[in-house]
Amino acid sequence: MQPLAELKPVVDEAIAPERPIIQVSGLDHVYPSRDGPVHALSDIALTVGEGRFVVIVGPSGCGKSSLLMMLAGLRHQTAGTILCSGRPITDPDPDRVGVVFQEANLFPWLTAIDNVAFPLALRGVSRAERAARANAMLELVGLGDAGGRYPHELSGGMKQRVSIARGLVQDPPVLLMDEPFAALDEQTRMAMGEELLRIWSATRKTVVFVTHSLTEAVYLADEVLVMSARPGRIVDRMEVELPRPRTYEMMAGAVFGRLRDRIWQQIKAPAR
Amino acid sequence: MSLGAMSPGAVRTLIILGVLVLWEALPRLGLVPMLFLPPLTTTLVAGFSDWRVYGAALVVTLTEVAAALVFAVGGGILIGAFVGALAGPRRILLPVFSSFYAVPIVVLYPVFTAWFGIGSESKIAFAAIYGFFPTMLATAAGIQTIDPNLVLTARSMGATPVQRLLRVILPASIPTLLAGLRLGGALVIVGVVVAEMLISAAGIGYLVTSSRTVLDSPRVFAGVLLVLVIAMGFDMAMRVVERRCAAWGGGAPAQVPRRRPIARETGQANAA
Ligand SMILES: Nc1ncnc2c1ncn2[C@@H]1O[C@H](COP(=O)(O)OP(=O)(O)O)[C@@H](O)[C@H]1O
Ligand SMILES: [Mg+2]
Repeated sequence: MQPLAELKPVVDEAIAPERPIIQVSGLDHVYPSRDGPVHALSDIALTVGEGRFVVIVGPSGCGKSSLLMMLAGLRHQTAGTILCSGRPITDPDPDRVGVVFQEANLFPWLTAIDNVAFPLALRGVSRAERAARANAMLELVGLGDAGGRYPHELSGGMKQRVSIARGLVQDPPVLLMDEPFAALDEQTRMAMGEELLRIWSATRKTVVFVTHSLTEAVYLADEVLVMSARPGRIVDRMEVELPRPRTYEMMAGAVFGRLRDRIWQQIKAPAR
Repeated sequence: MSLGAMSPGAVRTLIILGVLVLWEALPRLGLVPMLFLPPLTTTLVAGFSDWRVYGAALVVTLTEVAAALVFAVGGGILIGAFVGALAGPRRILLPVFSSFYAVPIVVLYPVFTAWFGIGSESKIAFAAIYGFFPTMLATAAGIQTIDPNLVLTARSMGATPVQRLLRVILPASIPTLLAGLRLGGALVIVGVVVAEMLISAAGIGYLVTSSRTVLDSPRVFAGVLLVLVIAMGFDMAMRVVERRCAAWGGGAPAQVPRRRPIARETGQANAA
């Protein structure tokens, strides 16, 4: 725990230069459970600047998903506040926040395009507008000609692209992603990372991306937040000064290695 | 040509034809006494020459089956969904229902006739209960297999509880509902016919028993044949419904006409 204590001040000093879009302070979460309360998150404070690609990395079980669920309004925190665009998040609000989960979670009875259009259908958007917007999103994720296919006819990577298109279809300023590529094989995962960066630069969304992969974190992020093992707290924050577009070759570079190493030093300490 | 080289459909047809030929040939060749098994043609002649009687019996039986089906399957699916979806009722009610299921309800049939008389009502009541428990238990089990992530995803898109039920839980339950319908339907047919054979004054089951007591084998088998036709008719109806719903089920037959995705209306112009 000692090295963590030395690093702690970094978190508080850093201020994102952009207008903040997500502001979290004093966030605490305790799950009740049969074997006593589980302290999942402890005193989380973070600010995400508009248009930034922020990656939260930490060992599994440290509370990353819990944090994201709270940012999405899908779970209520025990204590603390979450502001998005200046207003508190208490319930899911697809106008402000889109969510992409680890599993694509597509509705198997709907075609790809109907899956993408689903959030619009919930709000009674007209059929024609639904089709147009869903198609535009499918084009964006490179699946313009797969709209008529059912999920079981799509590969894992394609499913996750449909899921991303669905997360973006209501045009929320913020996209939350919980280990979206963790279930994919290595090659697909690399390709999807590249694809996501392309989509991100095309849409200029704010992305909060959760992963337990150090490489993925450094490759994707403007800014990496490192979480400790349970109870999850943010123990480090670093800017990734690598130029964009990011390339595969950068992974072998010194900057990449140094950042990766720095994350590793944080999360290996309390490893169980 | 070997059996292995034929399509499953062709093999099926061949088996059915074989059975029909044997049915005709075995008694005619004296291999089976006519009293045990009258030839197919004799059976058909017996049935058709008495078509008024058999037609009336068919109407009675079908009416009873339809009415019992409404109670057994409607009630079984509704209560099964309720019991399966909610943890409280599931814990309390499921063990009770499961032990009911183990009771051979047919011993209670004489009681049913005491309560409802020997007319159609007692058959409907008996068959409805006979089909209800398995349908309910199958539905309760099936509802629990719905992926909770689909509901979570819908929630992240701002779906209201009613939208979650109608647009996610219900469509996700369709395979379960179909299985319940198939099981309930088969049992209801059995229940009605058995009840008619035990104590009654009408219906196909009654015709079979009354013909048997006078050792009129062709008329017994004409009744049996009619029951077979009902069961096969139900099976065919189920197949049609299942095909309709199977487009998204994975491994669905390719000739299934798909529900028209909304892409057809505006999307194809871009894709082309
Ligand atoms: N619904 C829950 N009830 C009780 N404990 C939970 C629940 N969800 C998560 N936890 C616990 O909280 C901790 C953090 O979980 P999670 O947020 O899923 O972590 P991560 O996504 O980083 O792997 C884990 O120890 C997990 O066991
Ligand atoms: Mg997780």
